[in-house]
Amino acid sequence: MKRIALAFMVLMAATAAFGAGKLTLMQNKPEIDAQIKAYAAEWGKKNNVTVVIKSIGGTSGGMGPQLKADYAAGDMPDIFAFDGLESYKEWEGVILDLSKEPWVSKTSVAFKYNGKVYGFPVAVEGWGMAYNADLLAKAGIDPKTLTNYDAYKKAFEKLDSMKKELGINSVVSMAASVEMGWVTAHHNFNSLLSNGLPYGDLSVVNDLLAGKVDMQRLQEYADWVELLFKYADKTVLLTGNYDAQVGAFATGKAVFLHQGNWVDPNLKAANATFKMAFAPHGSMKKTTDGIFVAAPSFYAINKDSKNVALAKKFLNDLVTTPEGHTYMVKDAGMIPAFSGINLNPEGQLSKSVQQWSAAGKVYSWNQYYFSGDFRDKVLTPIYNQFAAGSITKAQFVDLMAKAFKDNAKK
Amino acid sequence: MTKKTESSLVFWVFLAPVLFAFIMVMVIPFFLGSYYAFTNWSSSARVDGGLRFVGLQNFAESFRDPAFLYSFGITFAYTILNMIAINVVAFALALLVTGELRLKNVYRVGFFVPNLIGGLILGYIWQFIFNNAIPSLGRIIPVLGFLANPGNLMLSKNTSALAAMIVVGTWQYAGYIMMIYVAAIENIPQELLEAAKIDGATPWIRLKSITIPLCAQAFTVTMFLTLVNSFKQFDVNVSLTSGGPSTMLMGQPILGTELLALNIYNTAFISNKLSVAQARAFVFFFVLAIISIIQVYVNKKREIEL
Repeated sequence: MKRIALAFMVLMAATAAFGAGKLTLMQNKPEIDAQIKAYAAEWGKKNNVTVVIKSIGGTSGGMGPQLKADYAAGDMPDIFAFDGLESYKEWEGVILDLSKEPWVSKTSVAFKYNGKVYGFPVAVEGWGMAYNADLLAKAGIDPKTLTNYDAYKKAFEKLDSMKKELGINSVVSMAASVEMGWVTAHHNFNSLLSNGLPYGDLSVVNDLLAGKVDMQRLQEYADWVELLFKYADKTVLLTGNYDAQVGAFATGKAVFLHQGNWVDPNLKAANATFKMAFAPHGSMKKTTDGIFVAAPSFYAINKDSKNVALAKKFLNDLVTTPEGHTYMVKDAGMIPAFSGINLNPEGQLSKSVQQWSAAGKVYSWNQYYFSGDFRDKVLTPIYNQFAAGSITKAQFVDLMAKAFKDNAKK
Repeated sequence: MTKKTESSLVFWVFLAPVLFAFIMVMVIPFFLGSYYAFTNWSSSARVDGGLRFVGLQNFAESFRDPAFLYSFGITFAYTILNMIAINVVAFALALLVTGELRLKNVYRVGFFVPNLIGGLILGYIWQFIFNNAIPSLGRIIPVLGFLANPGNLMLSKNTSALAAMIVVGTWQYAGYIMMIYVAAIENIPQELLEAAKIDGATPWIRLKSITIPLCAQAFTVTMFLTLVNSFKQFDVNVSLTSGGPSTMLMGQPILGTELLALNIYNTAFISNKLSVAQARAFVFFFVLAIISIIQVYVNKKREIEL
């Protein structure tokens, strides 16, 4: 009898929760899962609604399968994250126009397409070459000079000759295994697409999408990739995963790390207390004094949702309420994409991104103009082979050029 | 109600739950999937995304894709090598734990336990062993110094990475197959072995002429299980190599250890070509069905011969 009563109570609670309405949000940053759930629970209480958060991360294959399954089942979330133009197109039919939302005027990085706003920027993130300032000081290298290929080459050579004194295994912590294709074929690839160009300039992207390859730019980029691979620890480069890559930097075994500010919590967990910041990528002969900063993903509201008003309020409250600010900046440790928020993230690399941003020295993220198919299944193997030394730099350039031409034909 | 209708009623009532589940999650999706393989289905809200019938286009595209052809080849290679490795190891272990050995029950459990660990976790554990444990062994023991050389990492080349997958597959599955062999070996009448022994048969002759022929039924089962399991390998593939390292085929850089199941998954969810993936899954099913029918037929024939 007791058991039946208990089952009945659970059922009651479930229906009560259901009766009060349900707002579902699917997002792609598992690292902030606990924080967003806590915030959503509080927010839900105030607005008399149950907010269900589903967090699924990973590469471009991460959230996609679940979203597709839910779409096929007619159970799309009310709010869902997408990362850029290619995935916007995938869901174009159900994404609501958010141009009239109050937060639009407070951000410069919202997702826009044909002049309309469709995506709420989740945060601002950036990557460059994260460096260990203590080790650079010991080697007598000024990070401010690291703005082009030649400067990096000289610095890498010097650091490589001082391995013993500095106690490092390799100069740069780089990963190029297939599992880490997002480091090479997403992030590093972007150097080719946007380094040295005005923010939002798509000239190189459009040329490459049309199959027109600027060989000079590609050659210089190949030099840069070669430099990174040459001075990387081969074990981490060829077989390392995210932990191995970040770990080498966190423990002072590498001077540079090819990652973004999202590694802050990992570095904190590894007790990395040395001074660190970002330097620009040296993918070109000319000086490129800026790092890559943008919103990594956007929240879209499902047009067919029954809770459009609530979903809009949820997003708006993130920007306009102190609770929303605390969640985004203090709890989740993100750099807010909106003006009028006076909190600052604690991580050193996040602060560095903010400084570059404030100085206006930023380049855009253009990798999302290429499909996940192209990046993960065409480019990743090319980088992987170059890293393994099974193809030469000349072959790397040829394969890249051919990949763009083939892609344009599709 | 007559006894007969009652028993048939009971039969169907007991069968209903399983039948319901089977129809819902196997039969219906199978036919739906076969249908989608001939369309441009994408399960997304693309503006131009109406469902259209495209004939054999998805199949044609698949067979022109070097990555898919390569996956086919490498899956066959993996399946054959893995079948041999698992069965040889499992049979050897079975002989060991049915012999005169102290603590043999402990060994049986020990060999079986890896089977209880999920493939994904197993892949990550072995990734650590191949990438960290083995190189550090090389650093500690001078004779094995070559292991510490990054050029010798098993997962850094596609051929040795495939071998690594076989090592993990065998480690995971040999214990389970061993149990089937143990049951078969224990069912062999002892008097046959004893008689042979008295007649002066060496252990090798006893194994070759008595034990192996009398395990023929077990071979049919184990061959089938290892064949199907190796062919469908997915989880260890994902977590151990993610399909890498890459290699070249027909002038195109492709993933070097991407087995068919992973290729289908990647086609569906990374390349966003669900209907093409459906077509590939259909081919996959068809090929696997044919191979396993042939295998069972051949083994059954042998059962009678032996």
